[in-house]
Amino acid sequence: MGDVEDPDLISDLPQSILESILTRLPIRDAVRTSILSSKWRYRWTTLTHLVFDDKCIRMCSDRPVVENCMVNFITRALFLHQGPIHKFQLSTSYLQCCPDIDQWILFLSRSDIKELVLELGEGEWFRVPSCLFNCKKLTCLELFRCEFDPPPTFKGFLCLRSLSLHQVLVAPEAIESLISGCPLLESLALSYFDSLALNIRAPNLKYLCLEGEFTDICLENTPLLVAMSVAMYMNDEMAECFEQSSKCNFIKFLGGVPRLERLAGHIYFTKYLSIGDYPGSLAITYSHLKIIELYQVSFEDMKEIRVVLRLIMNSPNLKELRISGSSTAVASVEAPNLEFWAKECPKDCTFKQLKVVKMTDMSGVPHEMEFMKFLLANSPVLETMSITPCVYVMDGRLNMLIQLVRFRRASAEAEIIFTR
Amino acid sequence: MSEVDMAVIKPEMMKSYIWIQTTDGAIQQVEQEVAMFCPMICQEVIQKGMGSSKNCAISLPQRVTPAMLSLILDYCRFHQVAGRSNKERKSFDEKFVRMDTKRLCELTSAADSLQLKPLVDLTSRALARIIEGKTPEEIREIFHLPDDLTEEEKLEPLKNTTDDPRIRLLNRLYAKKRKELKEREKLKDVDAEEEHVDDRSVDDLLSFINGGDGDSKGIKTSKNKKKHRKRKDLQKCAPSNEAIETPKKESNAASSLCHNAEVDHELQSSLSEKLKLQDAAGEIFAPTVEFDDVDIDDEIDPALKEEIDREVEDFARILNSDWPERMQELLSLGQERRLTHLSVNGNGALKGHARPDPGQK
Repeated sequence: MGDVEDPDLISDLPQSILESILTRLPIRDAVRTSILSSKWRYRWTTLTHLVFDDKCIRMCSDRPVVENCMVNFITRALFLHQGPIHKFQLSTSYLQCCPDIDQWILFLSRSDIKELVLELGEGEWFRVPSCLFNCKKLTCLELFRCEFDPPPTFKGFLCLRSLSLHQVLVAPEAIESLISGCPLLESLALSYFDSLALNIRAPNLKYLCLEGEFTDICLENTPLLVAMSVAMYMNDEMAECFEQSSKCNFIKFLGGVPRLERLAGHIYFTKYLSIGDYPGSLAITYSHLKIIELYQVSFEDMKEIRVVLRLIMNSPNLKELRISGSSTAVASVEAPNLEFWAKECPKDCTFKQLKVVKMTDMSGVPHEMEFMKFLLANSPVLETMSITPCVYVMDGRLNMLIQLVRFRRASAEAEIIFTR
Repeated sequence: MSEVDMAVIKPEMMKSYIWIQTTDGAIQQVEQEVAMFCPMICQEVIQKGMGSSKNCAISLPQRVTPAMLSLILDYCRFHQVAGRSNKERKSFDEKFVRMDTKRLCELTSAADSLQLKPLVDLTSRALARIIEGKTPEEIREIFHLPDDLTEEEKLEPLKNTTDDPRIRLLNRLYAKKRKELKEREKLKDVDAEEEHVDDRSVDDLLSFINGGDGDSKGIKTSKNKKKHRKRKDLQKCAPSNEAIETPKKESNAASSLCHNAEVDHELQSSLSEKLKLQDAAGEIFAPTVEFDDVDIDDEIDPALKEEIDREVEDFARILNSDWPERMQELLSLGQERRLTHLSVNGNGALKGHARPDPGQK
């Protein structure tokens, strides 16, 4: 140990700095500082951010032992802890439906918890105890693989700003009322839900991330939405029952988001949007929309093509467009409705701000080529258009290049980058 | 010509400076945009109008020494330039915090008193990286922390060692090895005598404590016989041991938590480190225990001693090859037993003995 005369370098730093140092350590190292010296004995106990994961205990092959170890560690840490706990994260796959977790959440609900993250690994779903709904000051809630059942008297988390539910079993009405019961909600992420129908009413919502099988999404009241990322899984039955419905998904989804700046749609998103009867014109202009990403657009479906066109033509300030095609092993040379481009497509539409276009997974089908031609002809400030053919297409590449070379370009600066 | 001169001189005249007084009384000028990067200086200038001339120089808080000030100004000078990319800033930061720990702590303190949060975050992160993954002794050495926790608090981690006889054997083996090394050193350095004695007692202490958790049923009978012999010798120190035992039990709370947290650490580090932890404890028992060790060693028949040495060496070889995995195994077994036999642990610590049992009765 050091010379007695050497001054202690660190223990006299202000409490806030020591806390910030301890917070940056894994919880195990932070707790271990309690045997450094008498001044450090209880330093760690006032930490307000507690993150428990698989690293906080020694691993061994015996699962019950690990579970026991972890439960002991966390229980004792909470018991020794002093003061408020603002953030609590539990990410482990070793605690299966452990009754101690309920006790910890009860303890936290009395400690003014603000951020709670529960990530409890494979196995049985963890049933969230009702004391969670008593955490009045909660600002951020993330649940993975939990069963969530709010009591009927539950009105919502009045301070909640960020909600993230991933593989959570919960009744749809409960989610809707939870979302509308959180007036300050700014960020919402729902993933891996099965056949969820949702009306989202969140006047302050800015960021939305949806992933899963959603049968019916309606953004009823989300005027402040800034960024949206949606991955829509759909099976054929759902698609069929949609065909019969006449409500226009496009309007329901994108009809009320004038402030949208960034849109990302994955998997079946464009298909989902294409379902329903479109009234003909769009009342809304996406004047803030700068980046559009649409993945797996099928250029063999006219309705999807119309959706894409509709979107970009109503976004006068669009700067960046990324589209990926849904690759088909056999790219047909013939395509129906090719006259659409010559006859129906508006000619006077200009993309005044469009600078970057990225097209990936292109199979070279006629509609794809026509779309590229359309973009090139109507983008006066285009800087790069990069095209990546789909891996299955080998022979069609030359054909694609031949056609590309012929297209007229509105922008003298435009570079076409064809990547292999 | 003169116009060109004017053009050259003008920008320099336009640059404004702020007067700053450091703790040693020296007053210096600092470019305004650099100094204003520090919120505390900014406040002084804007709210109190200080710093515009030598007379009203801003006096810096005590924690900002001249050396620290120059470091902080370097930091500010780099970061206040708006056009830098994130990558550039990050790589500057990485290089910036490469300094010895003492300066890092002083810098953190100075940056905090100037309310320069980005620099405080940077240095805190660096300090956290230094602390992470180190043993308590290493941390104490780096930061010159006084080792002033009581022995009870430090002894707690011992409870994690298992009552498995193989662990006891291991301890004995390592003790022997260390003894040999020390003996060799002693031949070169006469002063090593005291250390030698101390080591023995610590080894014995360790074996006692490890051996005495009272759960290894198989060895209990043979242990009992030796226990009686031991008892006579230990009678005189029994009362003092009791006195030390009880506080050990009471200070369970924090230390047993540390112990749990400590378990992994001890597993990974070599046994000799663990012995170091118990040095302080060893000193308590030194006077009574050393006799016992001498007794046992003298009793061993030389031929038997050779055999033991050979077996121990073989065992050492085996152990050295897969030490970590086996320790994992053993400790996990021990852990289970420890949890169920907590009540027995308390008094069992000194009842063990130091004889190896490698396959012998």
